[in-house]
Amino acid sequence: MSRLYAVGLSHRTAPVELRECVDFTRGGTVEALTALAARGVSREFVVLSTCNRAEIYAVAGPDGPDTIARFFADYHQLPLARLAEHLYVRQGADAARHLFRVAAGLDSLVVGEPQILGQVKAAYAVASDGGFTSAMTNRLFHSAFGVGKRVRRETGLSEGAVSVSYAAMALARKIFGDLRGLNVLILGAGGMAKLTGMHLRGQHVQQISIVSRTLRTAETLAAQLGAVAVPWSELGAALGAADIVVTATGATDPILTRGAIQDVMRPRRHRPLFIIDIAVPRDVEAAVGDLDQVFLYNIDDLQGIVKENLARRSGELERAEAIVEEEAQKFMAWLTSRDVIPTIVALRERFEAIRQSELARLEPKMSGLPPQARERLDEITQLLVQKLLLTPTEQLKALRDESSGAAYTDALNQLFRLGSDEAPQAPRRRSKVSPLRRE
Amino acid sequence: MHFIPLLLYGCAAAAYVAHFARRDRTTARTATGLLGTAILAHTFLIGMQTVQAGHAPLVGTTAAVSAFVWLLAISYLYVELTTDERAMGVLVTALLTVLFLIPAFDPAVSPRPAVLQSPLFTLHVLTVLFAYASFALAFVIGVTYVLLFKEIKAKHLGYFYARLPSLQVLDGMNGRVVTVGWIFLTLGIAVGGIWVMQVQSSPDPRVQEMSIQDPKILVALVSWGVYSFALVARRAIGWTGRRAAWLSALAFVIVLLNFVPVGYFLTKSHNF
Repeated sequence: MSRLYAVGLSHRTAPVELRECVDFTRGGTVEALTALAARGVSREFVVLSTCNRAEIYAVAGPDGPDTIARFFADYHQLPLARLAEHLYVRQGADAARHLFRVAAGLDSLVVGEPQILGQVKAAYAVASDGGFTSAMTNRLFHSAFGVGKRVRRETGLSEGAVSVSYAAMALARKIFGDLRGLNVLILGAGGMAKLTGMHLRGQHVQQISIVSRTLRTAETLAAQLGAVAVPWSELGAALGAADIVVTATGATDPILTRGAIQDVMRPRRHRPLFIIDIAVPRDVEAAVGDLDQVFLYNIDDLQGIVKENLARRSGELERAEAIVEEEAQKFMAWLTSRDVIPTIVALRERFEAIRQSELARLEPKMSGLPPQARERLDEITQLLVQKLLLTPTEQLKALRDESSGAAYTDALNQLFRLGSDEAPQAPRRRSKVSPLRRE
Repeated sequence: MHFIPLLLYGCAAAAYVAHFARRDRTTARTATGLLGTAILAHTFLIGMQTVQAGHAPLVGTTAAVSAFVWLLAISYLYVELTTDERAMGVLVTALLTVLFLIPAFDPAVSPRPAVLQSPLFTLHVLTVLFAYASFALAFVIGVTYVLLFKEIKAKHLGYFYARLPSLQVLDGMNGRVVTVGWIFLTLGIAVGGIWVMQVQSSPDPRVQEMSIQDPKILVALVSWGVYSFALVARRAIGWTGRRAAWLSALAFVIVLLNFVPVGYFLTKSHNF
């Protein structure tokens, strides 16, 4: 019988050198999907490949995991022995639970990071567009998207920035609303200044100006960043025009004093000024932060916020796991009910066949009966069969876990010899009867 | 009859608190839905009173409080639906519920004296009340601004940081709402002045009290002065942000004092 499998490796099981080698996106995900399809292991599968994980979700027979593991090795031209110890295999409910945790960001390197849900969606879209998904994977992935959304909406798992640069940008957004249209002034032209400038350029601020003691270095960095170099002598004017000031110089004494900032606040009519001091030792006097409409954050403050956010996130873990578990149960209930439906159909057909054959056997004895009595007999026997099967059908559909579903199906198959030659019509009609198959 | 809107405003306030804490879509919709229902129930009530009395229930401080609550609820709902920001709903609905206690426990509609039959009177009351509703919103926005401002300054980003819009957005809203309120207050005071001139010959003793010495009129002019200063200061000397927020909060306290205690106990001219 086909089952759901998840085979893969992630930052939890494999070192970065290995993860770099195992990347399905490099040659194109569609190509990877096509290559896997050529192995004939399964008709439904999705390849999820990010910088922290490479996983294949497939509905396959019992030899599925081995074939997929071999595919991992062959496709990346690695010896299977090197991969094997880093690969994990999850099946059935565990596979679904695993994907749900991944989609919710619970399995991420930075717990709660929001990009992974988009990556899961993209992976599914590629597989779905290529015709590599079907009823089970469709349901699985749509459930996973639901889990991701619920966790994001109902818990604080993805809240708060967890890196210094994100924390600074989030603060800027909380002060100014929108970063576009803002003027940024960077003091210093060293490595940190360059990193900050590159990050800010990605935020589409209106203009970046760079001030350095030596104009030449400012000009060099400005050329790299598409920014404007400002001579040191015009620092006051540049401060007046800026909304965000980032200081990252190597100076040993504070460059921006309370008096200097106070002087620029009046001409700028108390427009908010956000100063980010990432230099060690600090470039900005602490007293600057006491000025009205000036928001001063140094590197320690930002790290403090990151630490608080991380602590808050870990407090939300339990709630997120509970959501994952709840949705995994729902998915398994669906899967189980779907698994038992062919058995239910076969059982009904078997009973109907018995009824028909008994009626046929009794035909000579009943030939003397009036047509109404024969109709009545047909009706009664039909009702009898229906009544006999009602409770077992309900009980089977109510099974909540996969293993007992499989056990009951096996037992019924054996007890009634379902699927044997005596009930030849059963498999043909299955897909017609089950409404879930059509999804 | 008056208790149905009171109950609905109270439930809406509870729902806004729940939404502020939990921030999920369902609670958000419930809160907005409850507030909408409260407004409908309140509208029905005002309609019934109008039919019964034969005129809009705007005579007397109690009726004015009821009309103010109604206008504030509608103005807030408009702001919420256009900006999709519900954080201010907590304070607004709390204010609505507390103020609606007055009409809920004193529901009788005052008869309308002959002197108030002019349409100018109705216009005066409605414009002034709409101005007050705008100032109430500015107050709530200002308080919200200060809470967020303090959190960012203290460098402990917590409860409000995650729930409130940015400082710039709050400041912009504050400026717009104060401007709208100021325009309506100016209009309301002017209409009131014209009305007094028209009815000067009336024997009603309250009309004779209509002068700058009456506390209600005096404090109204003071609040007009404060809001005028807020507008000028914002444009001329850059009193935005925290100063503007404090100013709008302080000015509304004056408005509220003038509206309720002065309206009930001190004025000789406006005690209809």
